[in-house]
Amino acid sequence: MTRVDPWRFAGAFIAKALGSQIPETPTHPPIPWTPVSKPLAESKVALLSTAGLSMKGDVPFDMEGERKRPTWGDPSWRRLSADATSETIEANHLHIDTGYIERDLNVALPLERLRALAAADVIGSVAPSHYSIMGYQGRDASVLESRSGPEIAAAMKSEEVDLALLAPV
Amino acid sequence: MGLVARRIEEAGIPTVTLDMIWVYQNLIGMPRVAAIEHPFGRPYGDVGDAETQEAVLRAALHLFETAQTPGTVEHLPFRWHEDPKQTKWHPAEPSPIIALIQKRRKQ
Repeated sequence: MTRVDPWRFAGAFIAKALGSQIPETPTHPPIPWTPVSKPLAESKVALLSTAGLSMKGDVPFDMEGERKRPTWGDPSWRRLSADATSETIEANHLHIDTGYIERDLNVALPLERLRALAAADVIGSVAPSHYSIMGYQGRDASVLESRSGPEIAAAMKSEEVDLALLAPV
Repeated sequence: MGLVARRIEEAGIPTVTLDMIWVYQNLIGMPRVAAIEHPFGRPYGDVGDAETQEAVLRAALHLFETAQTPGTVEHLPFRWHEDPKQTKWHPAEPSPIIALIQKRRKQ
């Protein structure tokens, strides 16, 4: 049985800083649950990344605000088109090396791979829109939780998305 | 991200969260978690490694078919191709909050 070491790449400083925020036993509220209603091969799938991705020409995530106020992170969200590539997006995130994403978007938002799975009938279809937030929220994730989360959910509903696959970076 | 997963799930769309720091589950409570031991910034695999990217994507999607219980955590059997000491994921300069903490420690 594999057991993933969550700190293997973090380094001691970050492992301690983040690890100290996480309780050893669950303290979360009851977990929401929506049963899967149809086979994967018939489902429309949308992806979401926390890499601070925006389409070139769209308003980028606010890095200057975070530089001025290090305990703040941009809580807004962006819509990405299903044919986005490294050439058509930009990544703004001050906590990772975004150079990998700029060379190959699929490391964090695998749209090419998702299209291949749709072509192979593993999934039903690729949603018209995909989404990004910027993962670092500083002290206060309340805007992300109370505004951006429900807005992204509503955008997915309006495109009749069946399944959402999220990936923090 | 886990907070957003909860909001999407509440709105009636099932979610899977592919997560490196899956222990956040204790704090957040995500519906379905696919834990992955990959470096920050590249959850699906390395640049140009289409094979791993697709395999991770398939494994994460598979959780929609198998998870029956809210809070399911599945540990995915992927091993990064580099040793952590050789794996570069940090930004060129420390993030503002890390720089602030380091400055305060020196004072």
